[in-house]
Amino acid sequence: MNGILDGFSKIGSSVVGFFAAIGGFFGRFGQAMARGDIFVKLSLIWWGAGYIRRKQYIKALLMTLLEIAVVVFTLNFAMRYVPKFGTLGTVQAEQTFNIATMQTEWNDYDHSFMILLFSLFSFVVWAVAAFTCLQNVISCYQLQLDAEAGRHINNFVDDIRDYLDKKFHITLLSLPVLGIVVFTLIPILLLILVAFTNYDQQHMPPSALFTWVGFANFSTLFGGGITSTFGYAFVRILGWTLCWSFFATLSTYIGGILVSMLLNSKLTRATGLWRTMLVITIAVPQFVSLLLMRNFFANNGILNTICANIGLTQLLRNLGLITTSYIPFLTANGWAHATIILINIWVGIPYQMLIATGVLMNLPNDQVEAARIDGASPFQIFRNITMPYMLQVTGPALVTDFVKNFNNFNVIYLLTQNVFVTTNQLMANSQAREVDLLVTWLFTLTQDYYNYKMASAIGIMVFIVCAVFTMIGFNFMISGDKEGTYQ
Amino acid sequence: MSKKTTKVILHNAFIALLCIIWIIPIVWLVCTSFSAAPGMNTSTFFPNGWSAVHYKLLLTPDSVNQFPTWFMNTLKIACFTCIISTMLVVMVAYAMSVPKFKGRKAMMNFAVLLNLFPGMLSMIAVYFTLKTFGLTNSHIGLIFVYSASAGLGYLVAKGFFDTVPRSLCEAARIDGCNEAMIFWKIVMPTSKPIIVYTVISSFLVPWMDFVYAKIILNAGIAENYTVAVGLYRMLDKSLINTYFTQFCAGGVLVSIPISILFMIMQKFYVEGVTNGSVKG
Repeated sequence: MNGILDGFSKIGSSVVGFFAAIGGFFGRFGQAMARGDIFVKLSLIWWGAGYIRRKQYIKALLMTLLEIAVVVFTLNFAMRYVPKFGTLGTVQAEQTFNIATMQTEWNDYDHSFMILLFSLFSFVVWAVAAFTCLQNVISCYQLQLDAEAGRHINNFVDDIRDYLDKKFHITLLSLPVLGIVVFTLIPILLLILVAFTNYDQQHMPPSALFTWVGFANFSTLFGGGITSTFGYAFVRILGWTLCWSFFATLSTYIGGILVSMLLNSKLTRATGLWRTMLVITIAVPQFVSLLLMRNFFANNGILNTICANIGLTQLLRNLGLITTSYIPFLTANGWAHATIILINIWVGIPYQMLIATGVLMNLPNDQVEAARIDGASPFQIFRNITMPYMLQVTGPALVTDFVKNFNNFNVIYLLTQNVFVTTNQLMANSQAREVDLLVTWLFTLTQDYYNYKMASAIGIMVFIVCAVFTMIGFNFMISGDKEGTYQ
Repeated sequence: MSKKTTKVILHNAFIALLCIIWIIPIVWLVCTSFSAAPGMNTSTFFPNGWSAVHYKLLLTPDSVNQFPTWFMNTLKIACFTCIISTMLVVMVAYAMSVPKFKGRKAMMNFAVLLNLFPGMLSMIAVYFTLKTFGLTNSHIGLIFVYSASAGLGYLVAKGFFDTVPRSLCEAARIDGCNEAMIFWKIVMPTSKPIIVYTVISSFLVPWMDFVYAKIILNAGIAENYTVAVGLYRMLDKSLINTYFTQFCAGGVLVSIPISILFMIMQKFYVEGVTNGSVKG
């Protein structure tokens, strides 16, 4: 509980810090506008003005060109899409026969998705431009202060040199940040917006338009609507996802520690051989090993043959646990859940073993020795020394693992796609299966049913759940932040 | 036999049992790949007849199986991804570690936040964006998908750069080095383990990934596939009885180089993370 509160207070203080930084930025801008000379003020409209005054002609030219580029972008590109952002388009696509050219032609229709995407892109560009503009005024004012105080004014070569020295981090970060903005940030913002539209199979551009619907998708997700079963499926899938993340994380974590302790024991011979055997199982790509497992555990697969031969299948039938002539490892509710967690233990323990081995190497040995001399049993040592140490060091990783398992697409999809078929009509109505995680459900909804609106709403819910759990772990992360300890 | 010897034997026997359980699926994979029959053997663990004919079939393309092409496709994508990702990761990691600029902590927190969104969600939007530019079903699109956001995975490398002694950088600065020179001449040469780790791990991404490749290469053109998508297709209900053994053979052929690289990567990871860099 303390962790949660601490986490919140840390988030709170970083939010406060963020707004304080914004406030500081505008404060500096206000100061620059109030106390700057006419050129500083002019540079709000003409970005190059302040630099002309200080004889930085190349920089002035570059800033002017940049400003022209923004204006051209706005007039020629953004203005075609942004005005339609409020409605996401009104002109339905239609084909008409043109008498003059004797051909069937499309009218000048609106493409809702393009409008959404390019408007968002324009907003991002404008936000960056606005920031550049304000920052530019501040820089010009700084130049004025430097000039008045008689300090050295950079020429263009000095500026370039700065980007390899004092401002080297900007040079380094510009390209990666561009990649992240285009391939992660904009897509995320886009899908957040889609969650508030009715973009689905009935509203697929270019042949149809989609539009804003407010919170309708979220109310569907929480059980609203008359015929909708999304609420029913959502609660069940969320429950299984949480349950799965908990067991998958805990089982592999504890298992990994136990296996690595076994291997590190003084009694073990040929440690390297055993470790290699375990690690080989994760070195094989997951799509190979998991697809193999799925056939290994299939209804007519090899494991079922073995179970039938040793009489296990008959035994389970007699006990009334199964009614089929095979054990439905991956095809029946309940059985499939258990098998998936079991297979995940197979996948996950070697990983955790590798991590735990690294951490256990640094285990304070004197404590263990002292405890042993005092007559502590191996279990007591494990409970009171090894585990607390492991938790302290790998606590943040445990939280990350939980979030990773929450979004563990590969294991579920590769093991159950086309294998597990739900018999629950209510689940089937919302294209969900009992073994689905929220992410695999989201994937099926988009890939097979084009239901982007619901997928986006689910995606936002996934984010919220992950954020809450990370917030709890945030506390560990900051206290576990060892940056600078070794310097 | 002394009590101690018995204990050692029991202990090792237990570990051996554990390892054998773990290795069973891999053994099954290798054995089945040498089966003489094309479909899945469901009656016995070991195949009834042994033969390497399916390796030969795998390497001769037919309408479904284009393994040599898939392998080259994946290799090509992996090489480009590796170069771009490594560059981006090292750049971000260094910028977040060494120069202590304003707003650094805020950027790091923002990266944590971005990582919380399921990658699948942004993939759908990326797919549409790529489609707008005609880059779906192309390898360039896939390379972008794998490498463009690589900067977000900077944490391991940053952890390493954090251990480079600042006194070294200070000394270089006094000798007249600027930040860029410190980056190239001081930090890079001492960071070999972590760079090798980054290179290998980003090289492995296209080999290990299945879902992004499936989303981007969705047109069903077999010669465009990567190994993962191609092998997955072989297990379609209509194809599995003809291609299961070839799937296993393909799995073995892909796994060998990947396992070797993975083992090397592990070694460098341990070297990079536990040993630190330079003893200052």
